[in-house]
Amino acid sequence: MSSRKQVKGEYIETDTGNKVSRKANLIGTQHIMLGGKTVIMADAMGSSGAAPQSNTSIFIGRYCFLSRGCCLRPPGRIYKGAFTYMPLRIGDHVFVGENSVVQAATVGSHVHIAANAVVGEFAIVKDYVRILEGTVVPANMVIPSFSVVAGQPGRVIGEVPEGGHEQFEMREMYKTVGNNVPPPAAPAAQAV
Amino acid sequence: MASFTPYTYIQCPCYDLSNQTRHSDGSPSPTSQDLPDDDDEDHAFDPRSPRFNYSLYPLEYLLYCVDCHQIRCPRCVSEELVTIYCPSCLFEVGSSSVKTEGNRCTRSCFQCPICVGPLAVQSLESAPEASLLSVDNAAASGPTGPWALTCSYCNWSSAEVGVKFDKPQGIFAQLSKLRNGSSTGTDVSLTSGDVSPTKRDANIPKPESTRARFSALRTFNQSQLANSNTGSSMAGGIGDYGFSSPAALTRIMSIYSGSTSKPKNKASVMREADVPNEGFRTSNLDESESILKLRAGGYKGTVTMEQAASQVEEGAHFADELWPVASLLRTKRAKRCPACRHILSKPEAKVSNTRWRIRLVAGNHIPSVTIKPLPTPGVPLLSALAPLKPMQYLLTFKNPMFDSIKVTLATPATTPGRFSSKVTILCPQFTVGANSDDYDLNEVLKAEDRDQRDRRREDDGSHQVEAGKVFERGRNWVSIVVEVIPASLQIQPAPSLLQKAGEPEPDLAPLREDEDILEIPMFVRLEWESEPSQDQVGVAPSSKEKDAKEKRELAYWSVLGIGRISQE
Repeated sequence: MSSRKQVKGEYIETDTGNKVSRKANLIGTQHIMLGGKTVIMADAMGSSGAAPQSNTSIFIGRYCFLSRGCCLRPPGRIYKGAFTYMPLRIGDHVFVGENSVVQAATVGSHVHIAANAVVGEFAIVKDYVRILEGTVVPANMVIPSFSVVAGQPGRVIGEVPEGGHEQFEMREMYKTVGNNVPPPAAPAAQAV
Repeated sequence: MASFTPYTYIQCPCYDLSNQTRHSDGSPSPTSQDLPDDDDEDHAFDPRSPRFNYSLYPLEYLLYCVDCHQIRCPRCVSEELVTIYCPSCLFEVGSSSVKTEGNRCTRSCFQCPICVGPLAVQSLESAPEASLLSVDNAAASGPTGPWALTCSYCNWSSAEVGVKFDKPQGIFAQLSKLRNGSSTGTDVSLTSGDVSPTKRDANIPKPESTRARFSALRTFNQSQLANSNTGSSMAGGIGDYGFSSPAALTRIMSIYSGSTSKPKNKASVMREADVPNEGFRTSNLDESESILKLRAGGYKGTVTMEQAASQVEEGAHFADELWPVASLLRTKRAKRCPACRHILSKPEAKVSNTRWRIRLVAGNHIPSVTIKPLPTPGVPLLSALAPLKPMQYLLTFKNPMFDSIKVTLATPATTPGRFSSKVTILCPQFTVGANSDDYDLNEVLKAEDRDQRDRRREDDGSHQVEAGKVFERGRNWVSIVVEVIPASLQIQPAPSLLQKAGEPEPDLAPLREDEDILEIPMFVRLEWESEPSQDQVGVAPSSKEKDAKEKRELAYWSVLGIGRISQE
């Protein structure tokens, strides 16, 4: 309990409800935009070179959860003769597991990226996608909605069942992190 | 050992086909009659039995038919195509074009034949390194052809097998032109016999492509049929009905027209194809070239079974015979109840839309069960269960319905299988409160407050594991305790004294896969009172009718995967 009641909490909580760990390594914060209610845990990396057209190169929606040691990096390529970063867009309710690297062009809403996964450059991940642990999604791959992806290289191995949509919901998880979090209530937050 | 997450599987009633059909008298719940099984007595439900293969599903895979009031699983529902689309370019494909052009994307979506990564069109001329060196040059003039498909994952390039394209668009058409020597789709001119592949590294003239051969053979056979049918012009020979549609049609026409002409006995001699023009191919028995190739390329030069199977056309043996694979189309499907044809789930037709018009999932109708080990002070939580040591687990039932349900649980005293662990449910009968969906904040807060007070009160005195009592209770959830004594996994013959004469020989085989998982079969029976079903409400929504609640019940087997028993 005492570790939670620090003078300065472990997290910086913004007006829009973002909870960013003080230990997160964010590089180029002026280029990262959080939609609100997003959790960034310790040692999460967000590095961003500026995209040419706009100032923001990582867009993150609401209720996203970036676990420890994950890395978001905008994809880059040679464009008109110079190496350029392109924006990385992440939708709502996106979970990025520990030590995962995301270099996608777009990650849709309700996406679960498990631990130790790699999402290659300019990959497009649509909504309701589950990327299992250790998956390597090749660059430029398009993952359609309601896919379960696994393997190296990643391939679609199944469909998200109709009843599994609620599991992508991150609201409960958002409440479990922060400076003054009540002790976890008895019922398990996520049904396994 | 890999970490183990407890699971709950629920059995769909479709394992027993007699349950599937809806009773003709329209009785609301088939379960009430069928499921308190008669055969329970002689053989209890064993989740490992092959009889129950593919009938156990996690809750989220199950659907629920609100007409039959029954669980439906992916195996028993019938599916209907809503949309066909390419998973790579997300273009919708009409069902008619699927019929003519096949089940693969006809744009530029290809998969690597070596790995399965997506292939991208790249120019062969200006490689990225070159453009780095001469920045201005590359910037001035865009990359020019020829083009090739390259894999960003394993760096395979279609240029390796001699496949290059003149323009970066319409790769599918170009590729099939390269492959078949003709345009895609309907191969009209294929019988001419001048089809020759233009694959560059092919030294000897290869036999025609499979597609060309198939259509040649088909045209040949059709011509043969037509020839043989001319003899029995209008008579409709019995001898050749069913062979081709014209004959069948004439036969049917003759039946309906009432002509009583006797079928002529005609010797319809059909010849087999015997020249390449007719789709005939002699198999190449001279394998010296393959042997030479094997010698040069070794094992690495050959294809794996998986790679060969993923090829569109058969016959690839060496890695340089692998072609890019056009990506298979994917579908959005609606699901229907097998018994009453009620739609259980229906997605929006558009590819980009992820909403569902109808989604009747079982998770909204039956309680979810979560399993947690009950922490006992002083005993560390182990990843595996210690054999012969009692362990307590907390089962939490969460009610998704707006009516409170009465739950009755039953388990066999010992788990089935070779290693039978002892199971005791301390509180097999309880009621779970309704899941009120009204977001009246005060109400919820009050309820939660009450919850906490209750919990605190319980904390003071009891909160102890006691038979017949609910361990913990919330607004719409109840936790109960189940005690297990895991079996020992030692495989040794029982002492001969204890063996009875009639008993079969004990199974002394070594531990099979996943046999160390402690799985508890549990029979769940739910009873609740709900509003009368919708069709009745539509008739007379009077207050009297509303008060009359309908009694419902649902019963099913489920399996609780508790954990692995350690093998000491």
